[in-house]
Amino acid sequence: MKFYRIMAVSRRVFRGVVNDKRSLVLLFLAPILAMCVFGIAFSGDVENVNVIIINQDQGFTPPMGDTIYLADEIVNNLNTTTLSIHNMTSIDDARAEVESGQVSAVIIFPEDFSENAILKSQDQSYPDSAEITIEGDDSIVNIKTAITTTVSTALSDTLTENGVTPAIQLNSDPIYGEDAEFIDFFVPGILAFVVYLLTTILTLITFVNERSSGTLERVLSSPVTEGELVMGYAITFGTFGVLQVALLLTIAILVFNIMVVGNVLLAFLAVAILAISCQALGILLSSLAKRAEQAIQFFPLVILPAFLLSGIFWPIQAIPEWIRPFSYLVPPTYAANACRAVMLKGWGLDKIWPDILALVIFAVIFLALAVWTLKRSKN
Amino acid sequence: MLSADSKLDDVREGETLKTKEYAILTDYLTKNYGDFTAVNNLNLKVEKGKIYGLLGPNGAGKTTLIKMLCSISTPTSGGAHILGKKIPDGDIASKIGYMPQETGVYFGLTVDQNMKFYSRIFNLQREKAEKRIAELLKFVDLEDWRYEMVDNLSGGMKHRVSLACTLIHEPDLLFLDEPTVGVDPELRVSFWDYFEQLRDNGVTILITTHYMDEARRCDRIGFMQRGRLIAEDSPLKLLEESGKDSLEDAFLAFARNEDTMRMGVV
Repeated sequence: MKFYRIMAVSRRVFRGVVNDKRSLVLLFLAPILAMCVFGIAFSGDVENVNVIIINQDQGFTPPMGDTIYLADEIVNNLNTTTLSIHNMTSIDDARAEVESGQVSAVIIFPEDFSENAILKSQDQSYPDSAEITIEGDDSIVNIKTAITTTVSTALSDTLTENGVTPAIQLNSDPIYGEDAEFIDFFVPGILAFVVYLLTTILTLITFVNERSSGTLERVLSSPVTEGELVMGYAITFGTFGVLQVALLLTIAILVFNIMVVGNVLLAFLAVAILAISCQALGILLSSLAKRAEQAIQFFPLVILPAFLLSGIFWPIQAIPEWIRPFSYLVPPTYAANACRAVMLKGWGLDKIWPDILALVIFAVIFLALAVWTLKRSKN
Repeated sequence: MLSADSKLDDVREGETLKTKEYAILTDYLTKNYGDFTAVNNLNLKVEKGKIYGLLGPNGAGKTTLIKMLCSISTPTSGGAHILGKKIPDGDIASKIGYMPQETGVYFGLTVDQNMKFYSRIFNLQREKAEKRIAELLKFVDLEDWRYEMVDNLSGGMKHRVSLACTLIHEPDLLFLDEPTVGVDPELRVSFWDYFEQLRDNGVTILITTHYMDEARRCDRIGFMQRGRLIAEDSPLKLLEESGKDSLEDAFLAFARNEDTMRMGVV
């Protein structure tokens, strides 16, 4: 293996990409667009859910003191970003609104709400409990969960304000990721996905062209070996991977204000190794296609498994258990994992090495296979 | 079986002597693709410093033969010596120049970038490469197109870029697979003048072509059909032997003769 030949190939691949404006757009503009679109639309937080509140609470006047309207206090504590609150008096009209799809739920506070709540809290043997009824359209799970969570948060806030402490308290103290939002979880994932997808696809197309234009044969008839050729591609696409990530991270930090607590260079490392194995995968796939049009047919094959299995949009724990082993067969899983650990938890190489090792193993296997298919095509 | 063995011995016996004389020497070279035999027990000898033309219909095995000689295709059986060395050989690769039919240039690069890339993989020093690129571009008449994207050039121009890339490292042995397709007649003549000039400087050229006027300018011609060499001699001798006045007719005569002989054997 001669370094100058590897570098000659690497420079040539680099030139080819830089010369082609479409490739450049694909490599650098498409990921930014993808991140912004997904980051904004897919933010995971449910907002502006229309709900109707029917507040029939008459309040409760204790023997000495002012009348207390507990339902009002709870309603005031409702998170108005999540819920858009409308008030009505008729339960039937409100239900009709839910049925017509205008509104997601009706939240009903009965007349004796404050009375029951206060009396019951003073004397456990008091027969009636205070009840909040939520009648809603439960067909969209995220919305249903958002409503119940918001109401129960408002409820417990109100109770605390009134000096009522529940017997059992649930404490959630973040060890990692304090104040983390969906975008913080999502950006490391999209880094891995973008690099995986674009590197594989771009190498696939570049290499199919290399085969059909006769350049592959000319290069292999020269002193350049199959190994040098694959290494040349690996260097260029590894570099492009790092550049993509650097660009995406800059934008993610500036625009989305994402959380980066660890050493960004480690994320670069993970993604560079990912890019190297992906370009080898592209070369491998290219041996199955004669023309670029045929190569396009592989795109779903490349995109879907990574999209669904590698924990980019949702954690691997959300993937059915029987299918989860396949998650560990797609390289972006490890890159997403490593980037997340570095960016959200600030882990170092001492902790993320298993992911890095997995990526290195993928890279070695794919590179060897790529060289092997090139040699085999001589027969 | 016996005769085949004795021929093999003949080649081996004279190997040291012959491999020095011949730029290309094949030894029962065979290539099968599944049931199809592309090149069939071919024994080809090409003397150093000659232009050898391979003629034959599409699918006769010319390109497959050239690919094996360039070590980008592995023979099913048999072997070959190139410039005195048994291939595959790491050193030979830098002494040969291969011009593939599909042009073998990067359409997404400029002419200059293509030539620089090929100069780099042959480890040409920068000044040398610069000088060589200028020379070759002048020869293929593409000086004004040096910084143009190859994709924007016409078919014939692409072939000219391809030829310039093939010659960049001053190879001793050239494999030119239909180098003049789409090149205008005037330039074709100047290509052949250049080929003869190279030959006079000791370069060996194996060329395939479908143009009979070009074939006449070869020192030696091999007619190929169904992976075999059915006749081989200088163009004049081939015409004489077949009693025809064009090489096309001569080829057809030999091909017919070969067919009847095969029928006779069966």
